[in-house]
Amino acid sequence: LKPEEPKPLKFDFKDYMISKASSVNQALESAVSAKEPLKIHESMRYSLLAGGKRVRPILCIAACELVGGNESISMPAACAIEMIHTMSLIHDDLPCMDNDDLRRGKPTNHKVFGEDVAVLAGDALLAFAFEHIATATLGVPPARIVRVVGELAKAIGAEGLVAGQVVDINSEGLSDVGLEHLEFIHEHKTAKLLEASVVLGAILGGGSNEDVEKLRKFARCIGLLFQVVDDILDVTKSSQELGKTAGKDLVADKVTYPKLMGIDESREFAEKLKREAEEQLVGFDPLKAAPLIALSNYIAYRQN
Amino acid sequence: STTTSVKFDLKTYWSNLIGEINKNLDDAIQVQYPDLIYRAMRYSVLAKGAKRAPPVMCIAAYELFGGSRAAAFPTACALEMVHAASLIHDDLPCMDDDPSRRGQPSNHTVFGVDMAILAGDALFPLGFRHIVSHTPTDLVPESRILRVIAEIARSVGSTGMAAGQFLDLEGGPNAIDFIQEKKFGEMSECSAVCGGLLAGAGEEEIQSLRRYGRAVGVLYEVVDKVMEERKKTGTENGSEKKKQGKSYVSIYGVEKAMKIAEDLREKAKRELDGFEKYGDRVVPLYSFVDYAVDRGFTTDVW
Repeated sequence: LKPEEPKPLKFDFKDYMISKASSVNQALESAVSAKEPLKIHESMRYSLLAGGKRVRPILCIAACELVGGNESISMPAACAIEMIHTMSLIHDDLPCMDNDDLRRGKPTNHKVFGEDVAVLAGDALLAFAFEHIATATLGVPPARIVRVVGELAKAIGAEGLVAGQVVDINSEGLSDVGLEHLEFIHEHKTAKLLEASVVLGAILGGGSNEDVEKLRKFARCIGLLFQVVDDILDVTKSSQELGKTAGKDLVADKVTYPKLMGIDESREFAEKLKREAEEQLVGFDPLKAAPLIALSNYIAYRQN
Repeated sequence: STTTSVKFDLKTYWSNLIGEINKNLDDAIQVQYPDLIYRAMRYSVLAKGAKRAPPVMCIAAYELFGGSRAAAFPTACALEMVHAASLIHDDLPCMDDDPSRRGQPSNHTVFGVDMAILAGDALFPLGFRHIVSHTPTDLVPESRILRVIAEIARSVGSTGMAAGQFLDLEGGPNAIDFIQEKKFGEMSECSAVCGGLLAGAGEEEIQSLRRYGRAVGVLYEVVDKVMEERKKTGTENGSEKKKQGKSYVSIYGVEKAMKIAEDLREKAKRELDGFEKYGDRVVPLYSFVDYAVDRGFTTDVW
């Protein structure tokens, strides 16, 4: 009998995601505890702990580990990103914005707690994200943490997330929206926060400037990829499969990639973005890069 | 009736600072694509008649310990951005439903509720970003910058101003002290504390600044409400506000509110006793307290 060939180490993405999401959930659970005034904190927890796949925090942790850091030094930033993401969803769902009743299959925050509390819970999550990074990040030189605060603030403000939301709101009902315009929306509304997730992890983990910039590019690609896939799913799946109101973007006359370039071309575009993303990871330790490659595959091929 | 005989001109001190603060804020929020959001942010942050009390308080507290004013300026401006964000959201129809602010239409009245929410959402992070990108690290070590970030975030958050606003909207009958301290004391407290943190003040000094700032913030609000009430007498209803928040005046009446104001004045000054060793540099902090009650002068900038 020949001795068994050593098998190449196989990366189990499902296990990885379950274990990381569980760490993130635990960290979130203890970061935002139920305290006085109870209703605001319940409202914050309702949306923050509503499940979700924790893609952003996991990207943050994976990027940190890729450049030589560990989970615990990136966890506060990872949680902060999820708080910001949640906050933007709470405000986005408000009647004066997208007016959504359902989110992740549950009634939206303002439906349960009222609009006033939903606005305040969002503001409080935004603020707490920064407080948490500043106070709970341990074992990292303060200069790096300050840099992380600046990156996150830039990503979510008027040059980032908010810019995407503003242009998105102002595009409703417009008939001649071009590709550039659509990309502006998605680059800001979706990609900036994904970019920040990765970049924060890379900075905290002590990555070189070159590492940080490569990972920034990786994140930009998967950020756009995320949106292209989202648009494709929106026209091909039902509400039940998605856990949100499907086809809403078309009904509300919002522009989407399938509408602008057709379904097949949108799929090709997604492939191209995925390839470009993976090219950025060449040169890193393949074992440590495996989670990020699997994450980009996951974003490309997810079904909801 | 300050405890010092030094002649100090608060009006000149304050007006000089306001000019510089306004210029910094103007530079920090330049209109670019998408224009609408920047215009909405500028509308509230650069509103005429803004007193700039948070930044002035921050700088005065910083200067108590000596050092170059340049070190405190970015944080001072950030406080004003964060303060504006909080006021924009407080005025929303689902909150205090206030159609005007500082004598002009409130942000959502001009830009719509959606833009007003987003302008607030953008001003909070802009404040943090302004601090980390403009504070000279040769004057302020990064560890202090992080404490300032944490302090501001805590102040506007779910146990600070957001808690005050929440209880003002939905709170029980005995919440008045809590609401006043959180809704009006917190920003002033945070401003004084940030000045101390930037200067590297000791923990006890920070605690004194904390209590001082809180008392001064509530004091201004109490006196504002008393003055409003006195102005209203004889005229029709001066307030356009639909949902009137709780105040000491609306609950206890003018007499008792003035008594509360006097107590706050005493309390604020008592906290400054420990700073006598800093000599004349403590004078601006005293003068804020007396000004809050006496309102000895008015200029366009007030």
